[in-house]
Amino acid sequence: MTTGGTRAASATTAAPTTAAPSAPQLTGSSRAGMRLVWLYATGRRVPAAVIAIAACALGLRIALAGHWDTYGALQLPLVFETAAATAVVATAASPFGEPERLTGRWLPYLRLVTTLALTAAAAGALAAAGAGTHLAGGTLDVLRNVAGITGIGLLCAATISGGLAWIGPAAYLLPGAYALYTQWHHPALTTPWLWPGRPPHDLGAAICAGLVFATGLAVITVRGARDLPGEQD
Amino acid sequence: MTATKAPALSRPVARRPGLAALRLLRLELCHNAMLWIMPVAVALFWFTAARKTLGTPPLWNLRTAAMQPNAVLAFACPVAGAAAWMGSREHRRRTTDLVNITARPRPARLLATWAATTCWALVAYLACVAVVYAVTAQQATWGGPLWWPAAVAAATVPAIAALGFAAGTLVPGRFTAPLVALAAFFVLGLSTQPIHGSQSYWQISPIVAGAWDLGPNPEVGTFFAYQPDLAIAQVVFLAGLTAAVLGALVLPTGAGVRSLRRSALAVTAAGLLAAGTSVALAGTGRLDAHGIIAIPALHDSASDRPLRYTPVCSHTAIPVCLHPAYASYLPATAAALAPMLGQIAGLPGAPARISQVAATYQQGPDNSVSIGVTGSPTSGSSPVFRLLLPIQLLGPALTTSEMAGQVRSITGPSIMASVTGDGPDASQAQHAVTTALLMAAGVVPSHLPGPGNNVPPPGPSAGGGRYVALAPGSPAYAAARRFGALPAAVRRAWLTQHLAALRAGRIGLRQLP
Repeated sequence: MTTGGTRAASATTAAPTTAAPSAPQLTGSSRAGMRLVWLYATGRRVPAAVIAIAACALGLRIALAGHWDTYGALQLPLVFETAAATAVVATAASPFGEPERLTGRWLPYLRLVTTLALTAAAAGALAAAGAGTHLAGGTLDVLRNVAGITGIGLLCAATISGGLAWIGPAAYLLPGAYALYTQWHHPALTTPWLWPGRPPHDLGAAICAGLVFATGLAVITVRGARDLPGEQD
Repeated sequence: MTATKAPALSRPVARRPGLAALRLLRLELCHNAMLWIMPVAVALFWFTAARKTLGTPPLWNLRTAAMQPNAVLAFACPVAGAAAWMGSREHRRRTTDLVNITARPRPARLLATWAATTCWALVAYLACVAVVYAVTAQQATWGGPLWWPAAVAAATVPAIAALGFAAGTLVPGRFTAPLVALAAFFVLGLSTQPIHGSQSYWQISPIVAGAWDLGPNPEVGTFFAYQPDLAIAQVVFLAGLTAAVLGALVLPTGAGVRSLRRSALAVTAAGLLAAGTSVALAGTGRLDAHGIIAIPALHDSASDRPLRYTPVCSHTAIPVCLHPAYASYLPATAAALAPMLGQIAGLPGAPARISQVAATYQQGPDNSVSIGVTGSPTSGSSPVFRLLLPIQLLGPALTTSEMAGQVRSITGPSIMASVTGDGPDASQAQHAVTTALLMAAGVVPSHLPGPGNNVPPPGPSAGGGRYVALAPGSPAYAAARRFGALPAAVRRAWLTQHLAALRAGRIGLRQLP
């Protein structure tokens, strides 16, 4: 997106704060709302994130068709789940910064809806990719891992920066894979905070992942991603 | 600063380009993302690599071989991601046009940024390695550090940084850094999947520290000198890859300067040549009898020799002698064997010493490897029983108590059976006497498998006798109970007199007292 384009999106994102009281017609308001959502999504590279998620699902599907040993078969889905979660998290960074934050009344709702929709899309796409194959852990595992790792990324986006939010999920991948490894190389890591190493029906792991996702979602909805001065994309 | 001092500062820059490059590097070091990602890399190393490495027995070869792949994986994500992030910096900050008109050529700026990223990553890596080596130095009872595995992991850092940096520079975007970070883990972590046997090109992957599926090999560096054939090939590959990627990165930007372009082209070609050659060499590797991957073109036969050492021995009835690197296992091993050794010490044909030996390795089909001891289990006029500790064999890592348990239940009966000549084809009397001696030593029945199960010898081809468990209620079992209940002196006297006949199969069950 060009600089001109980002300015237009910024202005449109801010528009409802003044236009909403005087918007007389439902059709016009609806169209404006759709345009607002689209501009927000474009500014956050949501279409690219959707493509990345689809690529992850396709990659998982192709990979599952191959022959893997135990290590590969167990750790493979986690890599793609992390990649999909990272794609969701990458949309948290704002290219507009302070001006948009000050004027965008609908921003929290847009952040909430976008993040939820993308997370659901990521989990759904990966689960669909694993349908009919020997996907280690199954659909529940995918849902838990994607949600939890996305939550880690959202927390990183709010605390470190939107651009560097990938650090959390990428860093969590290694302990997650290690937790899986220790399931057959004792002593096993059984803490529910390393949920990739727990069975799909483990309640503690599901609670931990859900808690992290809920916290990340709440923080990113209310505060948005932290901006680093001078960083744009 | 006053206006009169300003020209004095700017003057030397043009005349001393080396200083300018150093100053640029210093600036990059101060503003590099890797500096802030270092704690993440160190934490990952500590949580996974150090945990795994320090969990292995305190043998230099095991520790260093375990550290290499784990360190590479721990640093892959952070280094690749940070390098990609730094590579996309100019695009992210919209400063491409601004910096393009500065005095420094673009290749110099790019290389300075990559070098700064690599420097911080190497500082973190070396600090982690230093801690692991220091702890191992305190715990190891023999030998010294092996540097090649650490060098392979160290050579991986610049290569990953170069790949990440190139990706960030060529395809800048918010998805590039995370994609590169995860791709680094994916490619490295799963690069061992295509390895089948010891002659695989994929052994060039830096997470391969030896024969794949053999795991860290306790023989190398203890019984035999460490051979860095595969490590040399890996380091050459990584250096070549780094040179090729960096050369290719600056190639298009040197279009205006012919000499620079020519140099970049030469570096790229040399790097590709080195990388390709090393991959080809890795494909010629084979598993040798000592369990290492030997690459004929890189193999130094002169250094391929057994290492000299003075074994450490126990003060049991029959001395148990281990390699000094395994000295920490001597008390547990001796304690596990002592009751059984007390039963056979001094008998004709009993070993004069139990001595640990090196295992021999043979590549089987696909990734299977057979381990054993060549030759007879006992050797010399004064018989020596050649012992393989369970931790020398394939399988999960064992604690000292787990290993002692296996020595007690597998190695001990094997030693007893070697004295009585027991085995699947032996007579009922031989089965009974072996069982009786084990009963007298307090080993049967609690520590052995159930009736009908043969206790395996301590490794394929390890030799030794083979204890055959007896079914309770059988005549042989009754004879064993009777013989085992005899006073120790009576049993010993009978054995001294009849052991040769027993071994020859000339004594039946009814002849047992």
